[in-house]
Amino acid sequence: MELLVASAIGAMTAGGIYLMLRLRTFPVILGIAMLTYAVNVFLFASGRLTVGSAPVLREGVTNYADPLPQALALTAIVISFGMTAVVVMIALGSYLGSNDDHVNDPAEPDAEDRT
Amino acid sequence: MTHWIILPVMLPAMVAPFIILAARYHMSIQRVTTVASMIALIALAAGLAWQASDGTVTVYRLGDWAAPFGIVLVADKLSTMMVLLTAILGLIVSLYAIGSRWDEQGRHFHALLQFQIMGIMGAFLTGDLFNLFVFFEILLIASYGLMIHSGGNKRLRAGVQYVLFNLLGSTLFLFALAAIYAETGTLNMADLAERAQMVSADETVGLRIAAVLLILVFAVKAAVVPLHFWLPSSYAQAPGPVAALFAIMTKVGAYAIIRVYTMIFPPELEATAGLHTDWLLPAALISLALGMVGVLAAKTLDRLVAFSVIGSMGMVMTAVALFSEEAIAAALYYIIHSTLAAAALFLITDMIRQGRADLRLTAQAPVPGHLLIAGLFMTSAIAMAGLPPLSGFVGKLLILDASYASPLMPWVWSVILISSLIGIVGFARAGSTLFWKARSIETETAPEGTPPSALSAIAVGGLIALLIAHTVFAGPAYRYTAGAAAQLFAPEAYIDTVLNTPGKLSPKTEEN
Amino acid sequence: MSLFLIVALPFLGALLPGLMNSAGRAACAGVTFTITLIAFVGLLTNLPAVLAGELVTAGVPWLPGLGLNVTFMLDGLGFFFACLILGIGLLIITYARYYLAREDNMGEFFTYLLLFQGAMVGIVMSDNILLLLIFWELTSLSSFLLIGYWKHLPAGRQGARMALAVTGMGGLAMIGGMMILGNIVGSFELSVILQNKELIQASPLYLPALILILLGCFTKSAQFPFHFWLPHAMAAPTPVSAYLHSATMVKAGIFLMARMWSVLSGTPEWFILVTSAGLITMVLGAVIALFKHDLKALLAFSTVSHLGLITMLLGTGTAFGAMAAMFHILNHATFKAALFMAAGIVDHETKTRDIRILGGLRTLMPITFAITTLGALSMAGIPLLNGFLSKEMMLEEANRTALFNAPWLVPALATIGSLFSAAYCFRLIGHTFLGPVRESYPAKPHDPSIGLWGPPALLMIPVIAIGIAPFLAEPFVKLVTASVLGGEAEVPKAYFKIWHGLVPALYMSIVAVVGGLLLMIIYKPLQAGWDAVPRPEAKTIFDALVRAITSAARGFTHGLHNGAFTRYGAIFTLAVVGAGYYAYASGTVLPTTRAMSPIEIVPAAGWAMLVAATIGLMLLHRNRLMSLIMVSIVGLIVSVGFVYFSAPDLAMTQLTVDVVTLVLLLLALNFLPNRTPVESSAVLRLRDGAVAAIGGLAATAMAYHYLMRDAVETPISAFHVANSYKGGGGTNVVNVILVDFRGFDTYGEIIVLGIAALLIYALTETLLNGPVRARLLNRKPDQARAGDMHPMMMVVLTRVMMPVVLMVGFYIFLRGHNEPGGGFIAGLVVSIAVVMQYMASGLAWANARIRYPYHGVIGTGVLVAGLCGIGSWLVAKPFMTTDFTYVRIPPFNEFELATALVFDLGVFLTVVGAVMLSLESFSRLARRAHVPDTDYPMDIDPSRDDPPEPPAPQPNLKEGV
Repeated sequence: MELLVASAIGAMTAGGIYLMLRLRTFPVILGIAMLTYAVNVFLFASGRLTVGSAPVLREGVTNYADPLPQALALTAIVISFGMTAVVVMIALGSYLGSNDDHVNDPAEPDAEDRT
Repeated sequence: MTHWIILPVMLPAMVAPFIILAARYHMSIQRVTTVASMIALIALAAGLAWQASDGTVTVYRLGDWAAPFGIVLVADKLSTMMVLLTAILGLIVSLYAIGSRWDEQGRHFHALLQFQIMGIMGAFLTGDLFNLFVFFEILLIASYGLMIHSGGNKRLRAGVQYVLFNLLGSTLFLFALAAIYAETGTLNMADLAERAQMVSADETVGLRIAAVLLILVFAVKAAVVPLHFWLPSSYAQAPGPVAALFAIMTKVGAYAIIRVYTMIFPPELEATAGLHTDWLLPAALISLALGMVGVLAAKTLDRLVAFSVIGSMGMVMTAVALFSEEAIAAALYYIIHSTLAAAALFLITDMIRQGRADLRLTAQAPVPGHLLIAGLFMTSAIAMAGLPPLSGFVGKLLILDASYASPLMPWVWSVILISSLIGIVGFARAGSTLFWKARSIETETAPEGTPPSALSAIAVGGLIALLIAHTVFAGPAYRYTAGAAAQLFAPEAYIDTVLNTPGKLSPKTEEN
Repeated sequence: MSLFLIVALPFLGALLPGLMNSAGRAACAGVTFTITLIAFVGLLTNLPAVLAGELVTAGVPWLPGLGLNVTFMLDGLGFFFACLILGIGLLIITYARYYLAREDNMGEFFTYLLLFQGAMVGIVMSDNILLLLIFWELTSLSSFLLIGYWKHLPAGRQGARMALAVTGMGGLAMIGGMMILGNIVGSFELSVILQNKELIQASPLYLPALILILLGCFTKSAQFPFHFWLPHAMAAPTPVSAYLHSATMVKAGIFLMARMWSVLSGTPEWFILVTSAGLITMVLGAVIALFKHDLKALLAFSTVSHLGLITMLLGTGTAFGAMAAMFHILNHATFKAALFMAAGIVDHETKTRDIRILGGLRTLMPITFAITTLGALSMAGIPLLNGFLSKEMMLEEANRTALFNAPWLVPALATIGSLFSAAYCFRLIGHTFLGPVRESYPAKPHDPSIGLWGPPALLMIPVIAIGIAPFLAEPFVKLVTASVLGGEAEVPKAYFKIWHGLVPALYMSIVAVVGGLLLMIIYKPLQAGWDAVPRPEAKTIFDALVRAITSAARGFTHGLHNGAFTRYGAIFTLAVVGAGYYAYASGTVLPTTRAMSPIEIVPAAGWAMLVAATIGLMLLHRNRLMSLIMVSIVGLIVSVGFVYFSAPDLAMTQLTVDVVTLVLLLLALNFLPNRTPVESSAVLRLRDGAVAAIGGLAATAMAYHYLMRDAVETPISAFHVANSYKGGGGTNVVNVILVDFRGFDTYGEIIVLGIAALLIYALTETLLNGPVRARLLNRKPDQARAGDMHPMMMVVLTRVMMPVVLMVGFYIFLRGHNEPGGGFIAGLVVSIAVVMQYMASGLAWANARIRYPYHGVIGTGVLVAGLCGIGSWLVAKPFMTTDFTYVRIPPFNEFELATALVFDLGVFLTVVGAVMLSLESFSRLARRAHVPDTDYPMDIDPSRDDPPEPPAPQPNLKEGV
């Protein structure tokens, strides 16, 4: 099982990186989203994997899934949601402004070689 | 127990929603609130720094849960020093933003500013790694808002890259945190320091990977080559006051490296031996050189200043990477200097922007109030380029002296000296073009644009005054940073205070 | 007067002229003069002590941690130079007052001049070498400002930059040298360093230190090969040239060599480096000077040549050489400053400095003629003038010096040098003043007012006095020499006198003078020959060098930072993986300690789906809608996975977040082009694929490594599980951690959400008030519109569901503390309910029914959460300390009330507000985008009849197009 999870994390990471290296903002944002999935799973898995144990405290139950990584992952999910919303908005604004959704931004100098 | 420590975080965190709720449409109220709260912050920070100056480490248990189970804030010399620096910068930036009316050119400037300050303060004060991540995110997302404040295509396009790159950084941070928790089962820095010692010599991989991922995260913040690419465009495109505020954000990265790699993964820790120490110094030297070369290469003033920031961060990191007590002391002295100098340069750049068609380094009609601006520019350029008599020079001497014992001393010295020559040439070129050559251009019509308002001038003047003070009182300042460094290299006191302060249901001893 | 005051006076005084600019030229000059005079008198008050041979000192600690202290000392050498600086300074100030034109900003000029003066005095009086370095660089800076004083002249700007670059370079080298020196000795105080000759010369770092320090001295004193900046510094106003670039600043390097003479000299390295540099400079400068037509250029090169002479004397390392050097410094300062001022007068009166169109000024400007003649003859080494004496001593010393075991070399070169120097002196007199009067002067020449000729005239007094009665200078020069030698050697007994008998030096002098005259006779052909010979022009080389470096820097910087995020991302990934691999490879690892749990069929299937979706995403990402679906599949499986691994809270959060994110992305996609064009080449995609694969593998390996091993010690979460109920009053540990154990994280997290919403709102505002608005209004939807914007089924359904969903949200909120759920999830659920209204019934309809502005909701949420934390202060507990109790309100069962619930309420509010504000902002963009939205829930979109626009082509538009 561990192998499945690990490879799943790897797969999502790879997909994320590939999309992150695309030229337009939309795929890049999706790539970041994929990376977020990957890292959240990894964060959750940092408490090791436990199958079929009680989610909340029960009498007599001693084996619980490590709650701390869950809390951390939860926080991370929320934060990355905020981040995604923001980056989508900024990308949209930049697209609406310049009618161009390339992530690459050939910097000033080209414009200045006139001098 | 005293609640002072949390106030630098809570005050802005309370002021911001107040602004949103009560003063969303009243710029004047927002301005008054901001300035008032910033002044209060300075008072608070000064109090904390004074409290810490005798070496006491104060711990604040959130939710009354003792470390490592709950989150703690820790105030020692280093963190309070950074908090004070942030507070001062915050006041100056907000004064300038008001004086230059930047805050009117978009929504929620003041609220975002407050949140930004809150994030930075929290990052300096927290004693918990995951909480550090949360505060990083706060200061980052606020910085996104400030960076694209008042929009504009160029700014937004630069903003997209800035955000994307930092999202990569945050993702990496989470990877590192997960690795750390998986390896040690804790997140509290002091606890980590103890558990890192438990790692057996024949199973070091886990800790090493965690340590290296973490330093990379902070290296992104500190704009260390090759993770610096986010900086030039975003700092160049950010509104003047915002860029000035960003001068402290790179220092957050430096702070985190200093904190984590003196306490948790100190150079003498076998498990992580020869890990960051080998790599950081060359990278830092390259950053220094690259930054100053960029200063020489820049065709616009804003990029010039941005690259000078990379350079001076390289300088800071060079000192940090020596990981010796006096080197860290020098680094801390230089951090203060570089923050003030960079902020001043960004604000002055903005002043010039107000009075000029663009910021290209070409001869254009003198900007309004150019005598004043030229003077300010010259002073802060001298500081940034590390020429006497300002603190940049003193800091350079400190770092050179600290690296005398290092085996890489010839490299360090030649890179520092040569790159500062390049920087001097670059700044001289820019200055003489902007202010001298301009004189040769005769204009009948008064130049368009407005001279800087009194408030803006006061803000910049304040920075210059601070730089001078930092030079004149270099003795006491260095004594303080040396004290902070000494505290860092004897972390036992810190660790004991954090781990042995009992809290609610503490397994050790029940409270009261 | 205290040494502090002497050094500080010029700096403090520097403010005055600048401020008194409006008070007029006389006032500016007056106050400057007074300040300098006070400093000068103050200096003289120390004369008795110095004559008594004691060391006047003063000092306060500045940065003891480094060993940088403000300590001054005054001995013979320092006193000598300070006298030159302040004394000549007085003359220069007077001269400048009359020299500068009316339109020149005098206050600025004198401010810079005083800054320079202070720095110079600081150099010669510093005891601490780090302090000395500071003053050293300050002189470079102030000379930069003074050379560039006439800002409109390109020559001035370039000359200033060149001087700064060269001397700055030297200064930096010197920093290195001085720090090495200080670290060898263990102190940066000169008084200590000067006592440790053996220690220093024995150190392996002696040579580097020597070279670095000499670099500083040579650049400052314009020694070959760094001599070229000095002539270009002549673009400065003449008073500056006379003061900085002949009398004082260029002597700083000499001063330092003299200062360090007693510890650095006497080694072969010192002898060879210094002597040869001096010799070359002396000859080269003299030769070039002869052929310069610009008066100031001629004088500049002659200065270079004389500096070389002095350097050569210091290089020999003998006491006599040192004495000769000191004596010549004195003499050179007097006649050269005078000559510069005279040249300035000629320039001022005739409006030209070109010797070729001058000549015959003898009768027109008799006073200037007299001054120039005396000065020039002294420089040429004619008896009865002071130049002769030191020149004789130089030649005498040269005779005793054998460089590279060639006894003839030094004397020969010395003779040639003085021969040419005599020649240019004669040319200076002859071609400027003798000869027929011309008609063609640019201006009518006549002697100026005494203000201009007075100062140089005064300088002629020592020139003649010492020349006739050398014994006048002897005691003083010997005093200075004594402090140079610093007890390393005896002050030579030799007496200063005009007639030494028929010694070789005399013959060499005669050769020089006669040869000089001969050169003048055959000058014209000589000049022609000189012009014919091609020579490397220092300035062009320097400029080419700077240009090359700059363009290289540009190429590098702009090439590296080309704004290509794709490349930055690739570098980032590879850097991280590389560093991680290094950490792994250099570490140690043991076999796994945990057993792999068995793979079951369902999760395996899920895994397959996830991988398939990921691959599909990579392949189909150009179709953006499709890629969204793929991402959602991944998200779904992740959520299910969380359930499977017994993390229901996580699953619920992930699920709800995904829903909202999806809505958000769809809204964005409404504007963005819905296909990604193919732009990157196959090779590029291959590269990216490789990078991605590397990253994926690394992640897999890392995750696997940790999953199969235990933490070094029990995770802290054990405590949370143990105390969740006892201390947090909740059985859902995850929720208790979120709102209690680590509530501060959650507090930060909701603030992040709030900021995100504010940011999105602010940007929307900016866009809608900017040029973008027009584009949005004129935008035509690129997809065919649905017939009815608000399908009845959906409207009805959502409205029916609304209360239900709200109920569910409330339930989830309340149970959160003990069962999976909590404020955050509840918030998302509720906002989804509201979003459904928006989607179904339209923005206007929904907005009309929103009672509270989302800003307010966010603000309240953050405040509530914060205040709930602060509340615990009232019971003297730390921020966010929770408490809980169980109450029973019949007929309900007993239920729990925890303060954490209030905090959770804050979370809830913030989440709702944030999500809604963001989505609303997006949809406001959309709303403005096409036909204004009506208030009617169910209606027909008139725009359906418009044919859909073909997807607009995506030219890669540059900024500003």
